Amino acid sequence: MASITINGTKVKVKNGTTILNAAASIGIKIPTLCFIEEINEIGFCRICVVEVEGEQDLVSSCNTPIKSGMVIETDSKKVIKSRENTLQLLAANHRFDCWRCPKDGSCEFYDILKEYDILFEEFGPGIARKDDLIYGTGISQDLSKCILCKRCVAVCNNVVTAKVLKFRDDDGMNPFVSPTVGLEFDQTGCIFCGQCVKVCPTGTLFETDHIQMVEDMLKDENKTVVVQIAPSIQASIGEEFGFDVGTSTVGKLYNSLRLLGFNEFTDTSLGEDLVILEESVELKNRIEEGKTLPLFTSSCPSAVRYAELYQPEYLENISTSKSPHILQGAVIKNYYAPKYLNKKPSEVFVVSVMPCTAKKYEISRPELEVDGVRDVDAVLTVRELAKMIKRKGINFKKLSDDLPGSNLIEFSKATNESKSCLNETESILGAYSNLIDKKDLETIKYKVTYGDTVKLSEGIIKEATVIIGSKKLNIAIVHGGAAMKEMYHRLNNGKKIYHFIEFMGCPGGCLNGGGMPIEVDLPMHEVIKRRTIAMYVQNNEELPLRKPHENEAVLKTYEEFLKSPFSEEMLKYCHTHFTRKEYRNE
Amino acid sequence: MTTESFEVNKLFEKWIQDGNTKLDEKDLVIQLKSYLESQHPEICGKCTPCRDGVVKIEKLLDKYVDGTATLKTLTELEELTYNLRSSRCSVGLDIGKNMEVILENNYNVLYQPVKKY
Ligand code: SF4
Ligand code: SF4
Ligand code: FES
Repeated sequence: MASITINGTKVKVKNGTTILNAAASIGIKIPTLCFIEEINEIGFCRICVVEVEGEQDLVSSCNTPIKSGMVIETDSKKVIKSRENTLQLLAANHRFDCWRCPKDGSCEFYDILKEYDILFEEFGPGIARKDDLIYGTGISQDLSKCILCKRCVAVCNNVVTAKVLKFRDDDGMNPFVSPTVGLEFDQTGCIFCGQCVKVCPTGTLFETDHIQMVEDMLKDENKTVVVQIAPSIQASIGEEFGFDVGTSTVGKLYNSLRLLGFNEFTDTSLGEDLVILEESVELKNRIEEGKTLPLFTSSCPSAVRYAELYQPEYLENISTSKSPHILQGAVIKNYYAPKYLNKKPSEVFVVSVMPCTAKKYEISRPELEVDGVRDVDAVLTVRELAKMIKRKGINFKKLSDDLPGSNLIEFSKATNESKSCLNETESILGAYSNLIDKKDLETIKYKVTYGDTVKLSEGIIKEATVIIGSKKLNIAIVHGGAAMKEMYHRLNNGKKIYHFIEFMGCPGGCLNGGGMPIEVDLPMHEVIKRRTIAMYVQNNEELPLRKPHENEAVLKTYEEFLKSPFSEEMLKYCHTHFTRKEYRNE
Repeated sequence: MTTESFEVNKLFEKWIQDGNTKLDEKDLVIQLKSYLESQHPEICGKCTPCRDGVVKIEKLLDKYVDGTATLKTLTELEELTYNLRSSRCSVGLDIGKNMEVILENNYNVLYQPVKKY
């Protein structure tokens, strides 16, 4: 322990603690911009500077450990002046069009400028450092707003391990952050996880806009616009309207969709259940016929693209089932619309609301269509949907909590008395167990073999062995780029035989997806925990797990349209394929 | 280090040792600018006060060159100079300290053209 003085208060803290954390321990928040704990502690922005007695220069508190006896001032005149000057410098090179910025209300840079009440004397704000706009199907980058904090670079390199974004300082006076110079994101090794978008303190990195397209379609009389929401949306959209993290607002969500003018709305549970059944049969087939194992899940487009880019020798392993929202899009267009709405597939426009930026990329994959009609036409992130709700003047907080009726909800909802399962692996293995042993699966006990459950930033690998049909199956759940890299490493090593692996690109899974609301005041694992609770509150812990093979909507869809898993119809509408993708990361 | 910047450094030694060296405004501004420019190759671009501060200081000096400097220009010049003390490495810190010495010794030279009365 070391004894130090902060703003006149004596404090005892552990040796090695940074000044920033020491101050936080007595309730003093020193402002930061470039800092992300354990991921980006590089001291670039110099906003966090403090005065230390005996030092002639100001020191950055985020990466300077305390020394016994230090006397620290966190808000002396010198310190405040310096922060103001540094903010002026950053702002002088940032283009301000805040009212149309994709970062909307959650810009950390704006907040800090406001907090320090920055005035401009000689240099007005707003001359962009660079004005390139780099396009990508999932995420895009507007360099005119970059403040060179390097957060995104740290995340893309260390957390995601895709190494797409780089700090380019060949010319030290004019550095910039970008993917390979001259290329769009799709030509690089980007997996569109959107983790960089979430950490960018400005609107430089953002999800590629689909709002425009959706709003145009809502006005088009000739289109039936159907919206399907991922279950995690109900547990997070409230955050955008001032509800605490972890508040479920499912009724308000559906009512706002109705007010926005969508013709039909539902969640993606039908698609999920069809995928679960399909993958359980695929697992059975592969095991019985001695085909390629382990089977990889295909629901996460980031994880699929990761394999296509970096591990093409494993493409055979990926389940050929389309991901739930794509599959459900195909079912809505090709079966529900013609049969129940009397509409041709081409007259229907399907919008998915997802916690994800990669699904924007996913719908651009050329193979995801049937007879020339795209399965899904647009993907909105939670943030985008919230923006549309605000723009339409809908008072979200005042909306009713009662679920509004919709033909499609009636049609597609899972048998009422059940809760949906967050965990894809358990659902698939549960269905597999029902298929083989005609009984439910016991609770799976996992062992964490990489990362940990608190520091989700690194991602996690959980493994377990389950016995189904007197056969031992080794399974793994892999979330996050670094964890995926590690898992492929293990697979290449071949020390252990696996049968089933769930891959997801985002550390913490979809609840921490790149399209989720941005929470800066809570650690990530806490956000995920609260959102998980919100999912279950809605689903009611007491209820039994949903069983896809008992879901009436699924049974009706089989009966009237898809027949059974791996039927000819199923293969036509609900399966896809994967190809090796070239890329340049320089 | 380029020869040019070496010469500038020599000049600084002189300034620092001999606090009485007085230049006229034009010489001072031009020499300051060439000193700052000579430091560009050293600047790594990582931290804000140095990367963006030096460029802005040069722009402020330009105002002296074209006669548009005001008292605010001088105040900002001082502030940005002092702000170099929050730089990340010795490149920015040293530029800052050299500039501080110059400002201290030649404040009047820069003050004369912008004073209000
Ligand atoms: S989306 Fe993911 S992979 Fe792509 S640049 Fe951002 S962090 Fe890197
Ligand atoms: S793009 Fe955003 S996160 Fe990346 S360096 Fe620029 S401001 Fe920082
Ligand atoms: S937060 Fe410490 S230097 Fe940026």
